[in-house]
Amino acid sequence: MTPFAPARLLPLVLLLTALLFALPAAAQSGPGAVAPGGGGGAPAQPGLEGQTPSPDVRSPADVPLYIPHDGRVQGRISIPDPALATLIQPGGRDWRGFRMDWLQWIGGVVILGALAALAVFYFWRGPITIERGRARRWVPRFNSIDRFAHWTTALGFIALMLSGLVLTFGRFVLIPIMGHGSFAPLADWSKYLHMASSVPFVLGLLLMLGLWIRDNIPTRADLIWLRQAGGLFSRHSVHPESGRFNAGQKGLFWLVVLGGLAMALTGYLLMTPFYYTGIAGMQIIHIIHALLAMVLTAVIFGHIYIGTVGMEGAFDAMGRGVVDENWAIEHHKGWYDEQCRAGRIIPGDRMPQAGDD
Amino acid sequence: MLTKRRPKTPGTPLSDALRSVDAGGPGRRAFLKAAGVTAGGLAGLGALGGGMMRKAGADSMMPGVERVLRKNVCTHCSVGCTVVAEVQNGVWVQQEPGWDSPISQGTHCAKGASVRELVKGERRVKYPLKLVDGEWTRVSWEQAIDEIGARLLAIRDTYGPDSVFWLGSAKFSNEGAYLLRKFAAFWGTNNVDHQARICHSTTVAGVANTWGYGAMTNSYNDIQHSRCLVIIGGNPAEAHPVAMQHMLRAKERNRAPWIVIDPRFTRTAAHATEYVRIRPGTDIPVVWGLLWHIFQNGWEDKDYIARRVYGMDAIRAEVAKWTPDVVEQVSGVPAEQLLRVARAMAENKPATLIWCMGATQKTVGTANVRAFSILQLALGNIGVPGGGANIYRGHTNVQGATDMGLDVSTLPSYYGLAEGAWRHWARVWDVPYEYMLSRFGSKELMEAKGIPTTRWFDAALAEAGELDQPNPIRGLVVMGHGGNTVTRMPDMLKGMEKLDLLVVVDPHPTSFAAVRQRRDGSYILPACTQFETDGSRVASNRSVQWGQRVVDPIFESKDDYEIMYLLARRLGFADELFKHIKVNGTNPVPEDILREINRGCLSTGYTGQSPERLKLHMIYQHTFDRITMQATEGPLKGEYYGLPWPCWGHPEWRHPGSPVLYDTSKHVMEGGGTFRARFGIEREGETLLAEGSFSKGSEIEDGYPEFTMAVLRKLGWDAELTAEERRVIELIGGDNIDDVSWATDLSMGIIRIAIKHGCLPYGNAKARAVAWNLPDPVPVHREPIYSARPGLVGDFPSYDDRRDFRLPLLNHAVQKAALEADVPSKFPFIYTSGRLVEYEGGGEETRSNRWLAELQQSMFVEINTGDAERLGVREGEYVWVVSPEDGRAKIKALVTDRVGPGVVFLPFHFSGFWQGEDLRGQYPPGTDPFVLGEPANGVTTYGYDPVTCMQETKVTLCRIEKA
Amino acid sequence: MARMVFLCDGERCIECNACVTACKNEHEVPWGINRRRVVTLNDGRPGERSISMACMHCTDAPCAAVCPVDCFYRTDEGVVLHSKDLCIGCGYCFYACPFGAPQYPRATLFGSRGKMDKCTFCAGGPHADNSPEEYAAYGTNRLAEGKLPLCAEMCSTRALLAGDRDEVADIYRERSARRGYGSGAWGWSVAYTADRGGAYAPGGRALEEPERTS
Repeated sequence: MTPFAPARLLPLVLLLTALLFALPAAAQSGPGAVAPGGGGGAPAQPGLEGQTPSPDVRSPADVPLYIPHDGRVQGRISIPDPALATLIQPGGRDWRGFRMDWLQWIGGVVILGALAALAVFYFWRGPITIERGRARRWVPRFNSIDRFAHWTTALGFIALMLSGLVLTFGRFVLIPIMGHGSFAPLADWSKYLHMASSVPFVLGLLLMLGLWIRDNIPTRADLIWLRQAGGLFSRHSVHPESGRFNAGQKGLFWLVVLGGLAMALTGYLLMTPFYYTGIAGMQIIHIIHALLAMVLTAVIFGHIYIGTVGMEGAFDAMGRGVVDENWAIEHHKGWYDEQCRAGRIIPGDRMPQAGDD
Repeated sequence: MLTKRRPKTPGTPLSDALRSVDAGGPGRRAFLKAAGVTAGGLAGLGALGGGMMRKAGADSMMPGVERVLRKNVCTHCSVGCTVVAEVQNGVWVQQEPGWDSPISQGTHCAKGASVRELVKGERRVKYPLKLVDGEWTRVSWEQAIDEIGARLLAIRDTYGPDSVFWLGSAKFSNEGAYLLRKFAAFWGTNNVDHQARICHSTTVAGVANTWGYGAMTNSYNDIQHSRCLVIIGGNPAEAHPVAMQHMLRAKERNRAPWIVIDPRFTRTAAHATEYVRIRPGTDIPVVWGLLWHIFQNGWEDKDYIARRVYGMDAIRAEVAKWTPDVVEQVSGVPAEQLLRVARAMAENKPATLIWCMGATQKTVGTANVRAFSILQLALGNIGVPGGGANIYRGHTNVQGATDMGLDVSTLPSYYGLAEGAWRHWARVWDVPYEYMLSRFGSKELMEAKGIPTTRWFDAALAEAGELDQPNPIRGLVVMGHGGNTVTRMPDMLKGMEKLDLLVVVDPHPTSFAAVRQRRDGSYILPACTQFETDGSRVASNRSVQWGQRVVDPIFESKDDYEIMYLLARRLGFADELFKHIKVNGTNPVPEDILREINRGCLSTGYTGQSPERLKLHMIYQHTFDRITMQATEGPLKGEYYGLPWPCWGHPEWRHPGSPVLYDTSKHVMEGGGTFRARFGIEREGETLLAEGSFSKGSEIEDGYPEFTMAVLRKLGWDAELTAEERRVIELIGGDNIDDVSWATDLSMGIIRIAIKHGCLPYGNAKARAVAWNLPDPVPVHREPIYSARPGLVGDFPSYDDRRDFRLPLLNHAVQKAALEADVPSKFPFIYTSGRLVEYEGGGEETRSNRWLAELQQSMFVEINTGDAERLGVREGEYVWVVSPEDGRAKIKALVTDRVGPGVVFLPFHFSGFWQGEDLRGQYPPGTDPFVLGEPANGVTTYGYDPVTCMQETKVTLCRIEKA
Repeated sequence: MARMVFLCDGERCIECNACVTACKNEHEVPWGINRRRVVTLNDGRPGERSISMACMHCTDAPCAAVCPVDCFYRTDEGVVLHSKDLCIGCGYCFYACPFGAPQYPRATLFGSRGKMDKCTFCAGGPHADNSPEEYAAYGTNRLAEGKLPLCAEMCSTRALLAGDRDEVADIYRERSARRGYGSGAWGWSVAYTADRGGAYAPGGRALEEPERTS
């Protein structure tokens, strides 16, 4: 492992860890909470003043009716359910603001922005072709386990993404089209699909992590790749040297793995309301979940683009498990050379492959 | 928005209804009348979609089916809230507010709002059960009654009638309570008791010995006239929530100071303007401390005392000892706070004094009550609207059951047990006195107080020679009473083992049934609730309310009357017992029982409340004023709601009832009164009769003794008797008609003539500040038996040992032994107990109600925040509460500042756990309450009031250990 | 048209829980669902108050705003109701509600919480008034019969008021003036007022009618 790796992961790990510890705490005490057993003295909340008749109240017009409650008001209740002991939780307002305004905008901008950017990129750069043309020689790249892991994750993700989008934007996009009566079952099924597809998604993620973690440890070469932005933005074919996975793929890998696991963690916490956090915690968890979802959605759009129309020969890797020799040489020279050294590929030899035309 | 519903136009403007609700207007009658909505149908029932909350069960409301409204009275506390039941096809499906009730005005507490569940009966006993080798087995009613009867007769033959203990209930109707008292008399024992023993027996003894009658003097509603509220040892916010509306209105409308004197910062204290925290068991020092300030500043009502109070000078002498610093030293109440309270009471008249079991359930209960009464007398607050001793009784009909003599020391209506009393009741029952005598073991036993419920197990565990009756208790018949209601439960359980026969007659199995100690000889008979039968019940304010049967008894349950009839028939005295009570098949007619009560209960004025009048009162509830409780219109105009006793004479006289006892500002025919002349004419040369005080319109403008034929003759009023009245009097008096008194004259002629002349039949006396017949004629402070302040025990020792109620009473010996064993340092916490709003009494019934049980799901012990920190106990953790006697209980800690440092509080409604062990399996299948917990009485200790044998539940010592 | 509201007078509420069991009784609400509850603040210390809380039927109801299937609606009387036929039990309304009003039959694993349930102001749901379907899913519809919510009707101390907003406010003001003190109506600013700025400040932007504040 290179010295870079921990340093690079650190902020993300720290963030997630901090969130984990912060959530229950946040759920338990909000700003201005009236603690059930805490200190004596003057009441902390408006409305808890004494019962002695005051000279200020002479006529009904003097009676204050609306007392602001900006903070969380927490009391005691005999039913053993702490959630019920919260009398007022204004935090819901902020969550509503996020859910109804911020998320719509962020989601819209990120997702539509990503699509737009890809479209622009496509028209500007066009598909990245194999410069030397196809060698028509096939180099094995992903075996069936690799591909199983990828596609399990991918299908899980797509199901999660689509169902999530239905729940997030359906009210504005779909209800006007299909009406409440039809949308509700769709949303209901989306809810179940969302929860069910988390299982293959997480299993796939873990499998990918196990299979590919070795090849995704950052190396010095990645710096060069990054400096040249993988040659994506040069009109001419620039292919920085890279191993089995280039820095872009590694970034994607870590984003998907860590982001996906964070999604899973937050999602499962939301599925078990009040087991680990209170309402404030769930609001925060939901915000993280939703924001990450938008980011991952945008990233995956990019991934899908580059794996399909964006790059000639890329889809074969996951589609059939083999890549064109020239594609391998151009995009993953290091890996190609290694395969050759290991004797897995004999250069110039014709590889027996199905799908050969 | 998704859809807009069509506008709905209410039958009456909602605003009007709301305003009238708050202002105490006609309420929602209009709504109810306009409410006859019928729509829909049953077609859709089979096709309920998702999101259904419930299945349409037999007890669910069926929209569109006709609903019949029936009125009954809540069966929980003594406020007497009207329950309006909506019945469909004989099933109670909904509850509506009883808007018309002048007392509750549509409201309920958690218990009242959920009484319908009692008649759904999810956890009720469904058929008779017999314990066979530790297993509860279903039996038929015939078999159960036959076997129980045979066993009872066997006990009677072998040990005598006094070896069966009959425990009745404050949940009975008046008719049921009266019938069980009469039943016990015909069985031949005075060992018959009910919950009053353990709630307000000391109040009854204390106030009856002070001014004549053992009851709340005013009413809940009347508190709205009060200008100062003092609550001592009571928590109406939890125990009598509906009473709080009247109290809060007084506080708000009169700007009345509201003073709560209590060791615990209760939900009531939260609404007080002044909260006085006292060390448990120091009520008398605090009251004497208040009186010290009152006398010191001349705030007492001197004129009132001169005319209406006997012996106040002796009180002054005692009170003089209780200077502010002594009071502070003993009770912990700061001197300046006490002065503030005394000033508030003196400057805001009339002040009402409210007390409850915090004062009464003590070894000094009677003395406490006497001290409170004297405080009110000194301020001239008794017999005044807005003043009074407002004693909040505990159960729905504990006042009535007490009045009906369901008690070891008296026959119905407080006639006592002397021969004259027996002869009176033998006449009412139309059986020869000699027959009654023949039923008893002896004339001595017939006239001796029985064994109280607080100590039945001592009488079961005793050897034959230790009791003032031939044999120990061998059989226990319990009707409507929990087993966890007595202190010293470890001993009580030993007593259970000694019984040959245990019969539990109850809608629920009760904690009597769920014990490991018994394997045979136990029966449970399913009694129905008061909602499944007819009968009258007396609210705390002495108003009698007729409860109408809502539905027929559910499952195989039967009502109390029928069960008593079946037993009496098996025991062979049904014909005598029901001589003048009509029995339809096996069902006695409750109206007939009430008519017999009307005939015999002269002394408390239970004569005017005929079933017909009471039923009219329920129908015309809406015509009564919401504060005075007097009908302002309609056929009952002028009468007070529920004809609060005394309601003199025959029903035809239309006496309106007495809303405020001893109120001289009213004519006796308007419900006025004087203090009762019950204790003679003079004592040690000083008159006991009132001086220059008399009720409005009285022809005797001074004190006078109770009316007898002799008094009538002396006044020359005897000529006014009708021939028929004279005939009856002569029949009763025989050779000596002069001794026939207003209370034994079944013709009611003497009462009629007294009232005709504006006089109270019971005389016109002074209230007694000194009650020479009590152990402490002037109340004095006595430390609790298990006192946390051993240094004070020497100066304030408990009562000397004595024998009473057929048993030895060893308060002093136990107190001394505790000190010698150094109990206060080994058990550093003061234990006190009390009620929760969700539950009631022993709690089996309410813990079986899922709507209530959800609200209090576990037993807890309140520990002060500081103490908890010191002990390292956190909220929700289990602790052991250990008693200086055998008991220990494993309970969840509730850390709170409600209790002060060094004090722990336990709610007393739990049972079903015993010393950490779950007894759920001991209940008959399907009858175990939803919530079980350790009984608070598992850790209570010895100590009894010498006057009534009230148990000590409010102050003892304990230790807290982390579990 | 009346605008229905709840108001709990903290000076009157004694935590007797009548409102809670009345609600359970009236609508046969199962164990674990608390359409109404009573919370005690400053427990055991001077200043202690108890407040009965349920759905406040907010003017700009956050539950309605965030519902992904838009299953909430408001009656002409201002009562916020929802359709259990549409509800997918996602729990968003619970996140947003300032009062913790929405309840779930099973707040358990894998989000199968069932249909959300909440106080209906005794006004049923979208089915025909007092039809068996409405009763089974939402409980009785007292409003349709010209009655008010049972919790308020049975309140032991008349702490809990329900009815037209102006009337309720007047009663509360008169009562407070008579006694000389008042705590302010708990939650009113959160549920009904609009004058505090910001899109998601209480009342927010989407008010349908002018507000009266003091």
